[in-house]
Amino acid sequence: MITVRNSGQRYAAKYLNALLKDPLLSIAIIVSVMFVLITIVLPLVAMVGESVSESGRPLFQQYLSSPVYQTIIANTLVLGVLVGMVGTVIGFLFAFVQVKLNVPFKRAIHIIALVPVISPPFAVATAAIVLFGRNGTITRGILGVRYDIYGLDGLVLVMTLSFFTIAYLNLRGMMEALDPALDEAATNLGANKWRIFRTVTLPMLLPGLASSFLLLFVEAIADLGNPLVMGGNYEVLAARIYVTIIGLYETTGAAVLSVILLVPSLTVFLIQRYWINRISVVSVTGKPSGTPQSIDHPLVKWTLYGAVLLICGLIVLIYGTIIHGAFVQVPGVRWDWTFANFDFVINGIGSQAMRDTTTLSALATPIAGLLGMIIAYLVVRKEFWGRNALDFGTMLGIAVPGTIIGIGYILVFNTPIGIGDLTLIPKLTGGQGIFGGALAIVLVFVIRSVPAALRTGSAALSQIDPSIEEASISLGADNARTFRRITLPLIRPAFLAGLIYAFARSMTTISAIVFLTTPQTKIMTAQILNEVENGRYGNAFAYCVILIAIVMAAIGVLYFVVGAQTGAERRLEGGR
Amino acid sequence: MQQRAVRLKLENVSKSFLDRDGKGHVQAVDHISLDIYSGEFLTLLGPSGCGKTTTLRLIAGFEHPTTGRILLDGEDITGQPPNKRDMALVFQNYALFPHMTVYHNVAYGLETRQMPRPQIQAKVAEVLKLIGLEGLDKRRPNQLSGGQQQRVALARSLVMEPRILLFDEPLSNLDAKLRVQMRSEIHRLQRRLGITSIYVTHDQLEAMALSDRIVVMNQGAIEQVGTPEEIYRFPTSRFVADFIGRANFIDRVPYQLVDDDRAEISLLGRKLVVPVRFPLRAGQHVTAMLRPEALVLREDASLMQVTIDEAMYLGSEVEYVVTFDQQRLVIVQQDPRISRIFKEGQTVGLDFLAEAVHLLPDQTVV
Repeated sequence: MITVRNSGQRYAAKYLNALLKDPLLSIAIIVSVMFVLITIVLPLVAMVGESVSESGRPLFQQYLSSPVYQTIIANTLVLGVLVGMVGTVIGFLFAFVQVKLNVPFKRAIHIIALVPVISPPFAVATAAIVLFGRNGTITRGILGVRYDIYGLDGLVLVMTLSFFTIAYLNLRGMMEALDPALDEAATNLGANKWRIFRTVTLPMLLPGLASSFLLLFVEAIADLGNPLVMGGNYEVLAARIYVTIIGLYETTGAAVLSVILLVPSLTVFLIQRYWINRISVVSVTGKPSGTPQSIDHPLVKWTLYGAVLLICGLIVLIYGTIIHGAFVQVPGVRWDWTFANFDFVINGIGSQAMRDTTTLSALATPIAGLLGMIIAYLVVRKEFWGRNALDFGTMLGIAVPGTIIGIGYILVFNTPIGIGDLTLIPKLTGGQGIFGGALAIVLVFVIRSVPAALRTGSAALSQIDPSIEEASISLGADNARTFRRITLPLIRPAFLAGLIYAFARSMTTISAIVFLTTPQTKIMTAQILNEVENGRYGNAFAYCVILIAIVMAAIGVLYFVVGAQTGAERRLEGGR
Repeated sequence: MQQRAVRLKLENVSKSFLDRDGKGHVQAVDHISLDIYSGEFLTLLGPSGCGKTTTLRLIAGFEHPTTGRILLDGEDITGQPPNKRDMALVFQNYALFPHMTVYHNVAYGLETRQMPRPQIQAKVAEVLKLIGLEGLDKRRPNQLSGGQQQRVALARSLVMEPRILLFDEPLSNLDAKLRVQMRSEIHRLQRRLGITSIYVTHDQLEAMALSDRIVVMNQGAIEQVGTPEEIYRFPTSRFVADFIGRANFIDRVPYQLVDDDRAEISLLGRKLVVPVRFPLRAGQHVTAMLRPEALVLREDASLMQVTIDEAMYLGSEVEYVVTFDQQRLVIVQQDPRISRIFKEGQTVGLDFLAEAVHLLPDQTVV
């Protein structure tokens, strides 16, 4: 025992020594850790602290024993479970059609499935109301029914359509990684296709299905935009937290509700992190051998394909409504062609929001992308004390519902933080905050985007043989030069994906920044919410169209600047 | 071994890793001391998991030893980071930079040293010529064959003119023919340039073909150090005898000490006097080792008669398995004059070359 401890101490000393010898590496580690501590952990701790304060503790009991709040909590969980299940099924359907069926228009289906990723919140919900609401173009106008879309059914519909892409991409990646040799082996042993699906494909995909369900569950319970627009009488926690702050100015109450919402979110995050990864049997790195067999049974094939086409049709209809609605006077009521909506947004009240949102997103994007790659590099390649904690802490940025982050920021950064007269962190939030509260918004954009960059970055890094970096070091380059000249160019696709995600996420986020916008700093999504709440759907749609256009343009610019061509791809072709 | 300067010195070096559960330690390298002389080609040879690669990575600086010191030309480099060590490592999977051309791969290290560009160009051209890759400098790694990639990896290290060249199983990703070709190329280059080289492999033929000296490792420790011939002919342990080439062991051979260095033994029905190369105490058991090529099968009624269990015709040689005294013996006949191949089940006489008998201390635990 003693020798083990001694050698442990020696290890520690050696590590410390190695870190001191490479100051740049140490700086990278310290900066990353400090960033995560201040911008993610600190607000969370403050929020939890507030909830268990003198005034917070009684609220727990009050909320948890009140039937109203019990219903809200139950509503939230039911919504999460339903969206998780329906979204996973649809995602699986799309993945299955892409990977296993030999049918036309697969490329188009893929692109349609990706569309919801860059859509602003409210867009789908508002369009759904126009189409299927009480006065819906389809429900009332064509079918002649007065259907009340507000509530659980409407929420499940719009959230599923908004989030199923996550499940689709997740499952598609896994299904493509399934080794066709397994299918061939099972066929060779006499199994038919249905039996293969039941005994080989499905069990291997089970971790993927579980993780898709969990991801969708978390997205659904954290979502603020859709419940605000679509919820009707069906109240959920995120919306309640919003009302508690915006309507009642009860920060403590909101903190208590946030902690209640945090419990299922964090539980799922922990399950995802420590259990799903462990039971996963599909290795995504393996080179597939053989060609995947397609399903040819006509009934199976065309039923599944038909279902997918139907959903695609729905998505096209909804986005068509958004675009069309932007050019008419009152969508769903007066279909007269007009540019008034765009005029209102571009030349009127929306112009500042457009500029501010785009500028702040553009500021946050490179920071998030680069920070994600650096943390990925540190976590995957370097050994240091707190490595796992750094990864965990960074991931909290997205694992925690956005509303909770927002409240944490209000709690921590509303007053300057300092020791004595020395200000360490100035007031960040609110109109009197630094840069009119813009810095806080940029920070939130960054912490909401870094996790995705970290994941794509570390996935890309683990595909690259560490000996390539060691070769660089062996040839005399230090860590910084190796990262700049070797690592970063090789993970460029991940970097690009991280940047695109960061920009799209920043432009479309609402829950985390809804409490942080100020008169000086206007954010488009908050403005859209305002327009929707006031029933000015035409303006809302015009905002959405402009926002989507900005995101698409930015993706084009990023492709051009960063470049999608990579060393890693070349290596895949001829490396061995 | 002629007297040469010690280039690299390992002093009592060990390395332990935390095991998978993070509870115990795995001793990858166990208190190794070793001198590597200037200009020599030294091979670390052993089965997978014997610690040879870890030893190489300790020398390169990618791992830090748990105990011990590493000295390069007398200077303690134990704490020196790998990029400051004047060594270059050739990797098993080449580890070429896939996003750079051959030229930039080779120039990379010199650029890191901030050498002037014309000088870099001259040096790269020179080394590419040396290694037979002229005209390929604009290619990318994926446009090269496996053998060419390995040459680039070698050129990239050679151009640095390091004090020590390190090789981590550089040929194991090549197919058999190419491996033999690259082996002689490395041999030729190293002899010509005289760079001190440390080479890790699990392929004993590669080790024998290339090395001035071989270090046989097992379970993190050094089993034996010696020239290829010493290692093959006079292994000091059963492990080494078994790992290098193939060996028949005949345990508990009856013997009589003649003097300190010789013993009379009775082996396969013959009595003979053989040298003893280890301190032998009276009463201790000994094992006789005979290489398969030292055993001879002959139709001769005066010899011990054995029945052939298996006969395999391998082209350049014929391999037999016989059972003698409940012991499986492998015999390889390489004599091209032999026109007759014995059949399985046939009974023939068994003979051996007396000078090839090598005695080992009996290490079987009773």
